[in-house]
Amino acid sequence: MNQTVSISENLPVKQESKPYKQNRWKKNFWGYLFLLPAIAIFIMFMWVPIFKGLLYSFYNVDFVKGNSFVGLDNYSRALTDPDVLTAVKNTLYYMVLGLAIGFWVPIAFAIAISELRKFGGFVRVAAYLPFVVPGVVLYGLWRWLYDPVGPINALIGSLGLDQVAFLTDSRWSMVSLVFMETWQQFGSGMLIYLAAVLSIPRDWYEAAEIDGAGVWARIRHITLPSLRNLIILMLILQIIATSQGYQSQLALLDGGPNNTTLTYALLIVKYAFTRLDYGTATALGMLMFIVLGGLGILQFKLNKEDN
Amino acid sequence: MKNTERGILSQHDLKKTSNKVIYGIMVLVLVIMVFTMLYPILMTMFNGLKSNQEVNSFPPHFFPQEWHFSNLKDAMNYIDLPMFLRNTIYIFLGNMVVTLVVLGMASFSISRMNVPYKKAFYFFFLMTLFIPATSYMIPNFVNLKELGLLNQYAAFWLPAGANTFYFLLLKNFFDGLHPEIFEAARIDGASEPRSFFSIAVPLSIPIFATLAIFIFSTAWNDWFWPSLVMHSEDKYTLATAIYKYVINVKALNTNIKFAILFIVTLPPIIVFLVFQRFIMRGVSLSAVKG
Repeated sequence: MNQTVSISENLPVKQESKPYKQNRWKKNFWGYLFLLPAIAIFIMFMWVPIFKGLLYSFYNVDFVKGNSFVGLDNYSRALTDPDVLTAVKNTLYYMVLGLAIGFWVPIAFAIAISELRKFGGFVRVAAYLPFVVPGVVLYGLWRWLYDPVGPINALIGSLGLDQVAFLTDSRWSMVSLVFMETWQQFGSGMLIYLAAVLSIPRDWYEAAEIDGAGVWARIRHITLPSLRNLIILMLILQIIATSQGYQSQLALLDGGPNNTTLTYALLIVKYAFTRLDYGTATALGMLMFIVLGGLGILQFKLNKEDN
Repeated sequence: MKNTERGILSQHDLKKTSNKVIYGIMVLVLVIMVFTMLYPILMTMFNGLKSNQEVNSFPPHFFPQEWHFSNLKDAMNYIDLPMFLRNTIYIFLGNMVVTLVVLGMASFSISRMNVPYKKAFYFFFLMTLFIPATSYMIPNFVNLKELGLLNQYAAFWLPAGANTFYFLLLKNFFDGLHPEIFEAARIDGASEPRSFFSIAVPLSIPIFATLAIFIFSTAWNDWFWPSLVMHSEDKYTLATAIYKYVINVKALNTNIKFAILFIVTLPPIIVFLVFQRFIMRGVSLSAVKG
């Protein structure tokens, strides 16, 4: 709270005649008062944790005996832990799978749905519906769908193929999670793309058609270039999101089998709440910030250009 | 979509056989997609109404052979759903109030009031967007613990006022209101708070509705953070309780498990179907997060 006070003390004090100064203070009083609660809360619950993160990455955090300064110990522990390397690899794999399996899906469906002459509204609602399903329901539901005797294996079996242990086979576990998340999330991305696809002027297609451009040529040279900025923005948003992913890995597999779904963020969680080593967890968080911080700024710049 | 006479394809294109085939394949893919989306959701519902034996039969049936509506009652008795529901509603309502009061006032101040160094304040809020949330998740928890807020609703309510995304939504909304309204009020002698509470707030009902849906779905869906912050069972939210007592529990009959999942899925689906328009608009708003 001290910071709040110092901010209001740093108000501009210009050399002005007294009545005017008072008047000015009165004029700005409500503006400051309206800002004050938000500033206090942002400091207490955003900036203090962020700076504590920087601080505690050099401390051994102990709630009983008190914190003690340990220098770079946390960082050296983090960087020599073989699990960290595994986690970084898994996270990169997860990000690549997310792009390969999930990224193009909403674009393709947005274009397809924009071409529907009937039932467009219904298809949109259906595609978005899984996004409304709560995360815990998603996990319970897909655990059953992926079960060795669940419906997906029934389908595979009826096609005469071998059964797949989607979750417990270490070759499939991450792929299965990405597929599940794509099922849940593509609808919201699809709506965003759809709005952009529908805002492309129809006469561009008309003109292209008159010039003899086929359907694919129109998609390649008109639709996709019009979506270019949005695609880049969504790409960065997805990379920011997947690089921090841990919830479905934690809920369905707890990082297993054999650490194949142990992502970097999940390792942070485990350091803190399983190993109770908050200092190292915080140091891992700082390392993540150093790597990802640039992406946030890039996203912000692109967003500004877009608007 | 209704107003457009053509899309990428024109009526003329559809007369060509090759295009017809492609269009047919596209429609088929969309039908498969719709089926893939709806099947698991409907399965959640139907599985919750089957006998346990039938749920575990292989290959699975779609419709129940016998309808066991008593599963819903067993589901309510398995864990104290009404209590967890009440906790979730507490968090939702508190977060809503704090968001509207704290962020509503702050964004109005930045958008419409006289504040010197406005840009600096704006940047102060905005800066937090550049920092990946997971990187300060642990210090955030430690901070709550050091403030003595663990296991209290205040640990959700107070930080609800530190949401940059909602701040931006509100600010953009206020930016879009006509400044003349506020000028007129000022000339008529309305004080600043008055012009906020009796002019801006009533005009903001649509954006408040959008925010309410966002905040509701966060309170309803978030299972991980509440499982850390709340450590006594009687304060768990619905999602946390289901994560702890339903998802990974082997001893629970699968049909009862699905009955619980169905009960929890129903409210958000109803909210979605009723407020479709608000939500679909909200989605395009969330594209400009940041």
